[in-house]
Amino acid sequence: MPGLIGFYTFGEGRENWDASHFIHYGLNALQGRGQESVSLATIGQGNTLHTLSGKGGVEEFFQKNRASIPKGFIGIGQTSSYLEDYLVHVKTPYEMVLALDGTTDLHENRGEATKLFARQLSQLLHSEKEPLKATSMLINKIGGGYSFAALTHKQELITGRNPLGVKPLETGSVGFDISAVASETCALDVMGIDQTGSVETGEVIMFSPEDIRGNTPATDAGNFCSYEYVYLARLDSQVNSLPVAKVRNSIGRELAKTHPVKADVVIGVPETALPIANGYSQESGMPQEPGFMRTGENIRAALEPTQKERLVGVQLKLNPIKSAVEGKDVVLVDDSVVRGNTLRNTVLNLKRSGAKQIHVRIGSPTLVSPCPYGVEIPPRDELISGSLSEKELANNVGADSISFMTAEELQHAIGLPRQNLCMRCFENGGAKR
Amino acid sequence: MRVMGVGGGAREHALAWKLSLSDHKPEIFWIAENRNPGIHKICRDYKGELRIGRTTDPKTIVRSARGWGIDIVVVGPEEPGFHAIPDALEKEGIQCIGASQELSIIERSKADLRRLQWENNLPGKLLFRTFKNAREASGYIRKNIDTQPWLQNIVIKPARQSGGKGVKLIEDQQIYLHDEKERFKEAYFDSLQASMAAYSDIEDKILVEEKAWGPEYSLQCFTDGKTVLGTPLVQDNKSAHDFDSGPETGGMGSISGPDMTLPFITREEYDKSLKIVEGIVEAVQKKTGKAYHGMVGGQMMLTENEGPTIIEMYSRLGDPEAINMLSMLKTDIVDIFQAIAERRLSRLKLEFTNEDAAVVKVVAPNGYPEKREKAKGHPVQVFETNIKRNGCYLFWGSADLQEDQQVVTGGSRLLALMAMDHTLPPASARIEKTVSSVQLTDGWGLYHRSDIGTDRLLAKRRDAAERVRRLYKYREEHGILGSRMGWVPNLGRIDTSQLLLKEMHGPEKA
Ligand SMILES: Nc1ncnc2c1ncn2[C@@H]1O[C@H](COP(=O)(O)OP(=O)(O)O)[C@@H](O)[C@H]1O
Ligand SMILES: [Mg+2]
Repeated sequence: MPGLIGFYTFGEGRENWDASHFIHYGLNALQGRGQESVSLATIGQGNTLHTLSGKGGVEEFFQKNRASIPKGFIGIGQTSSYLEDYLVHVKTPYEMVLALDGTTDLHENRGEATKLFARQLSQLLHSEKEPLKATSMLINKIGGGYSFAALTHKQELITGRNPLGVKPLETGSVGFDISAVASETCALDVMGIDQTGSVETGEVIMFSPEDIRGNTPATDAGNFCSYEYVYLARLDSQVNSLPVAKVRNSIGRELAKTHPVKADVVIGVPETALPIANGYSQESGMPQEPGFMRTGENIRAALEPTQKERLVGVQLKLNPIKSAVEGKDVVLVDDSVVRGNTLRNTVLNLKRSGAKQIHVRIGSPTLVSPCPYGVEIPPRDELISGSLSEKELANNVGADSISFMTAEELQHAIGLPRQNLCMRCFENGGAKR
Repeated sequence: MRVMGVGGGAREHALAWKLSLSDHKPEIFWIAENRNPGIHKICRDYKGELRIGRTTDPKTIVRSARGWGIDIVVVGPEEPGFHAIPDALEKEGIQCIGASQELSIIERSKADLRRLQWENNLPGKLLFRTFKNAREASGYIRKNIDTQPWLQNIVIKPARQSGGKGVKLIEDQQIYLHDEKERFKEAYFDSLQASMAAYSDIEDKILVEEKAWGPEYSLQCFTDGKTVLGTPLVQDNKSAHDFDSGPETGGMGSISGPDMTLPFITREEYDKSLKIVEGIVEAVQKKTGKAYHGMVGGQMMLTENEGPTIIEMYSRLGDPEAINMLSMLKTDIVDIFQAIAERRLSRLKLEFTNEDAAVVKVVAPNGYPEKREKAKGHPVQVFETNIKRNGCYLFWGSADLQEDQQVVTGGSRLLALMAMDHTLPPASARIEKTVSSVQLTDGWGLYHRSDIGTDRLLAKRRDAAERVRRLYKYREEHGILGSRMGWVPNLGRIDTSQLLLKEMHGPEKA
């Protein structure tokens, strides 16, 4: 899953801005969306597109390439959880670079599908008299679930969100000089740019040296990714104008109401589940305590590509704080369960630390299907909760009980109408793959 | 009686419209630099004439006024005042409603305005510094940014109105972006220095002031020098595009009503704002020894330090803010002008509708404001019956009626549409329904801001106002309103405003 940024400048002296500095820190804020591949493209006065891509985390990329980072006063950037997942550079007929989060349905393979989309966009920008209208028609025609930002050799930034709206995209601006889009608002904050609201589903915004133009999207609402609220998005972001922190808190509260259990302490699994545990504690009246300390930087264990890396991730991440659980019955709150092995490790660690009973409460339904829009949810046969009952699962991870939120409960906690939430990963037969 | 107006924008069209509604039935004459189709028509219908001429040239103006036998002149824009048009008319014994050259300093020089505020210790100030050149400005900021924290978030302006040079708002809050911001600032100092080089008569070329944040609003007033009468608050929107993004423009549209304040400004804040404007009028009259008769306005912002604060002063009505105010005005405008001319404004009571709110939206050609040559010369078509049917009014701005009766764009803001309703959102919606009645027949695009007057933008303004209000009320309760006391490691307690006064006067007087 990639995170993307588009950065645009106006006004006198715009040539004095360097987009790469802003994008550098903006991408850092989006690091949680992927840490395998980074790329950056900029354009300055010469009407030449400069691009650079590389593997690894954002900071590593910018440090290693310090001397060769592309400069310019407009730019786009992308960080991705896929290996070798870079910006697509199309040279003809209309030169442009594309960043895309999600998948188009033009090909089975995400990379190929993105390339095909880029080519169609380039063709249309070359031949259509009204590129804004044509782009808006294009995203209505090409299915899938995606948000994108394209930078052209004519200093245009074209950005949008397909009518399904499953992938987030947020706008911001500051002073009279800078506008930007980003997958999450936290990136705007970090770049010092004020939030101005979500890109609407089906909306296209085109920044050019003459003006900013947007279509008036015909579709309403859209089908927002519920997993963004559960796990993907950063806690300090707003997604579709809903504060993630607030949603995670109400997930915890809902979980306490619908899956109550008597215990001595509520422990959240860092980082994502901490606010969920907090909501659980507030609603149930049981105290929440910090249960783990992290070693090293924040690693998103579920997104690590190999089993070994995931386990290293968990072990480094989760050293138990013994006194918090010793001799106590524990409610262990997590956001979701993917393969089950991280959970098994966590439960085991707590029991070895002296916890009596452990009741696992999960702030989302069982994951049963891979995501058709490119979120790394493993194939069905790797998903533990898809194959085992709650009881079998509890035995398997060594917990005294385990229970998951239902899709209805999650929807209720998020507070959006069911038809506006994508929950295909929680539904059997939800995904086409 | 014969009235003559000066200026060819939407604000002047609105003034002409209001004059045409007067019970005094004036004959209406005008001088503008473009053949504004709206003013042209009003002049023709009201036994007058629109003449094309330089509105900053005293000779042209005086000759026309004398030739037409004008009783009273009303000046729309600021430039004629800067060029002493009111002074020239008065020397000829012709009444003029408009700030004279010396008084218009409050708008012409943002630096002099700040000095006036600080010298007289008037409320509604912002910290500032002026500089002779770019090097001095950069050096000062580099040297003092750690000890004077306000220098982190600044606005850079030309010290005097200069060749369309805009302002730059720069917040330098993220240490990791500091170098980037510094480079940008310093490059802009250089460019200001270059454009200000022509003004050899003034020492200070660059103004740097404290960047405030909060909702903006304008308070436009009529004054005869003794009395300052306030009119309903109006909020203009300066950014070119929706949700306050894009480059700075002259103003893309404005809201007012349904009463004297705005939905997010309190009556108490209104009263304070009026006091601030009164204070400036009094101070500038004292300083120049001249009497102010005309229009004056405060472009204000609610700030966390002081509440109502001056961003800049207008020595005239705002454009487009004038359209809101004049649409709500119930008093005969000729009565107002006569009361100003005869210095008896204190006995006049201004009346405004308190039933309706007004929304104004500017329609501009693509290319405005950054590529005006491209925005210029496109043929315009307007479906007037449609506009009327939706209860909207059209005020022509940067437009030119050609010999063949075709109207073409002038490259700046083409026109403004105004609608009134009980509240702002339905008025805004009515204009939205109407904008397609304005088109360019050569296929070039037009744009406007659809968000002005909508619930969503109003909610954003209300939110900003409430947050700022909490901060300045806290200061009020703690007796530190307007104070700039701080503490800096190694230096201890500092008072930035004392520092400023010291630098302004030299140490002995402070
Ligand atoms: N000190 C300030 N703090 C915050 N914003 C400011 C400040 N000064 C100016 N601005 C913003 O910049 C805009 C233009 O500044 P202004 O002084 O009115 O110059 P002008 O209208 O002559 O370009 C204002 O409307 C306001 O939005
Ligand atoms: Mg202004």
